[in-house]
Amino acid sequence: MISKIVKSGLTRRTFLKSTAATAMSAGLPGMSLAAGDTIKIGFLAPLTGAVAAWGKPGLDGCEIWAERVNAAGGIKLDDGMHKVEFVSYDNEYDPAKARTGATKLIREDGVSFIMMLGGDTWPGVQPVADKTGMLFSTLLPSDLSPDTNTLIAPAEVHPIYNVTGVEWLAENKPDLKTAVMCAQDDALGLPSVATYLAAFEAAGIEMLDDPLLFDPATTDFAPVVTRLISKNPDIVCLDTCYSDYVHPIAEQLYQQGFKGQIISCTADFYDQMIAKTSEEFMEGFIFQFPDFDDPALNADNINFTDPNGFYAEFNKRHPGQWGAVSWEYASIMDLWKAAAEKAGSADPDAVTTAMKDGGKGAHAFGDAAWWGTELFGIDNALVGDWPVVAIEGGKARIKGFRSIPDWYAKHGDLLIKHMKAYDQMWDQRS
Amino acid sequence: MRIVPKLLIWIAVLVGLVLLPHGLSFSQQEILVFLTINVLLVASYRLLTLTGEWSLGHVVIMGVGAYTSALLTKKFGVYVPVSMLLGGISAALIAVVLSFPLFRMKGFYFLIGSFAAGEIIRLLWKRFRDPFGGAKGIKGIDPMPDFSVGFYQFDFFEPTSYYYFAAVVVAVCLWILWRIEKSPVGLTFHAVHWQDKLAQASGVNVRAYRTLAFAIASGFAGISGALLAHYIGTINPNAFDIDLMVYVLTWAIVGGTATFYGPILGCVVLTVLNEIVLRELGLEQMRPLIYGAIMILSILFLPNGLESIVQKITQKKAANGTAQRSPAE
Repeated sequence: MISKIVKSGLTRRTFLKSTAATAMSAGLPGMSLAAGDTIKIGFLAPLTGAVAAWGKPGLDGCEIWAERVNAAGGIKLDDGMHKVEFVSYDNEYDPAKARTGATKLIREDGVSFIMMLGGDTWPGVQPVADKTGMLFSTLLPSDLSPDTNTLIAPAEVHPIYNVTGVEWLAENKPDLKTAVMCAQDDALGLPSVATYLAAFEAAGIEMLDDPLLFDPATTDFAPVVTRLISKNPDIVCLDTCYSDYVHPIAEQLYQQGFKGQIISCTADFYDQMIAKTSEEFMEGFIFQFPDFDDPALNADNINFTDPNGFYAEFNKRHPGQWGAVSWEYASIMDLWKAAAEKAGSADPDAVTTAMKDGGKGAHAFGDAAWWGTELFGIDNALVGDWPVVAIEGGKARIKGFRSIPDWYAKHGDLLIKHMKAYDQMWDQRS
Repeated sequence: MRIVPKLLIWIAVLVGLVLLPHGLSFSQQEILVFLTINVLLVASYRLLTLTGEWSLGHVVIMGVGAYTSALLTKKFGVYVPVSMLLGGISAALIAVVLSFPLFRMKGFYFLIGSFAAGEIIRLLWKRFRDPFGGAKGIKGIDPMPDFSVGFYQFDFFEPTSYYYFAAVVVAVCLWILWRIEKSPVGLTFHAVHWQDKLAQASGVNVRAYRTLAFAIASGFAGISGALLAHYIGTINPNAFDIDLMVYVLTWAIVGGTATFYGPILGCVVLTVLNEIVLRELGLEQMRPLIYGAIMILSILFLPNGLESIVQKITQKKAANGTAQRSPAE
């Protein structure tokens, strides 16, 4: 069979056919679903290692999502109801392992859709996506490019939503005039640095120093923090640091006596940060990821099903593990389920068409538009409102929702300027 | 008479290696490709250890080969197999340059010095976005061009095709490494390790031989890096960090470095265990814990590595053979 494929040249169609045939011959589920078959969804993210905090809680959230959907009967396609099941592969944030994982999920497990964290791992998977036409999602839209139209970023437009936190800060605390920033020097940190620089410039907040880029292998953050606060900034921005960095940096800021404003993309496991510092120190810490027991998420415009119940169930099963991604992969599945039911099929092509129909989509935080040509070269990012979250009395609370497209309409040129300076535009990525 | 069974064994091994991917699942074929590349990496590392020096910069040197080969194909359109070779050569040349400061040190100091040198190289890759791509590295690296040999069409997206290509390259490299070790140069490497004062007194330029071992080992590590780069199509500085170096050390320590096959055995056994057995058993998220435990246990109970088990078995067989033959003799 393999020789037949290679003689005729491997196309997407022959690849998918061979996948189905091989899977069936091996007694595994194939690409095409029979009535009543369980739909398999691939979860290809780091489940161990330094970046696991942005993979593992997402898988835990997906398991709860699947149980809820299955309890309600499953996903309704043209041929009837189908249960849904997640198949995970730990890529350890390594592109080679991500390639192996994508191959396994598609060719052996017969998944209909694959969710990824993205970042460093996406380039390893991209050739597999191009060959198979499989629909992938990423949490990092900086992976998007016109080279691959089967990659979507439907949950978050990292790091563009970070502008909402700075905008809120400028409006509500106008006395804060100066800032400094640090980030790990990697694919996640750099586009975020460019975004925060644009947001601070748009808000009229002066950067006292160039962003301090530290090596991802850094473990001692005392010198980083000493240098950061040496110029007495009003704001310290922690960019999109991994939680393994946010915690020690916050601890150092506390120990070195910083009393100003902190803003960060994430504050995963912030209860542990409070325990390491103090409630007073963490008061007013701004970030972008709410707890889903927040009353603001019960508004009519929120498209995530029963956020408070989801949060309660997650914390019951995984106490202290709620993080930025706990709900995100599940919200992608809400979108995928709606599109599959609309298309009446789990076929990647049909689901993609249904999902992007009319250029609009139901994002977790309200209706949103498929967007991104200027920044990513392709309209495959779902963009709308995003919450600004502050820690108040030891608890994360949504302070308001801000429109990312509205900010971009006013300040898009600044964002493009800084993205270009850091070689982060889609056509600059080597 | 003894040549024939030996030849038969080698033919059986060859047939086994050719048929191997067809008995594996698609993902296991992918793992087989990376395993083949890692076999060259760890075997080249052993050549360096022959002189008594253990480096923490070997995977960065692998990265030098990967970056060179990737850039030569992307920027100058060099034919991939040629760029792979040039990747190996550039890694060897970088090693020669590094040897000037590094071989002023020995033992633990060399270990730390090699780590520092590797970090400097990694920081340079990050700092200079042009041409190295910065922290994101390089993506869209040209794959090995497909070709046909009449009875078989090589499509290098497919792991089986790339495995055959990599296996041939690695086999040739292993043969060269083997020949070097068995040559007078290899014997001198051993002498530099175990009897350096005596070797020096006999007129051996100890530092030159250390440099030679370092350069040769680095050259082959560079080829392994190039093989990796042109398969996955992307490289970044984090792919050659201390985490991978710890794996290489673990393969070498668990396998043992007294024999040529020791580190290879360690690499194969631990990769199969980590990437196939533990994943299949559903212990995916427990792998770091179990992997660490295995390393500690192997050091405690197998201080001479997995190769000592093989040696015991072969010695026992040889002893039995001698005992059986002796009455007739």
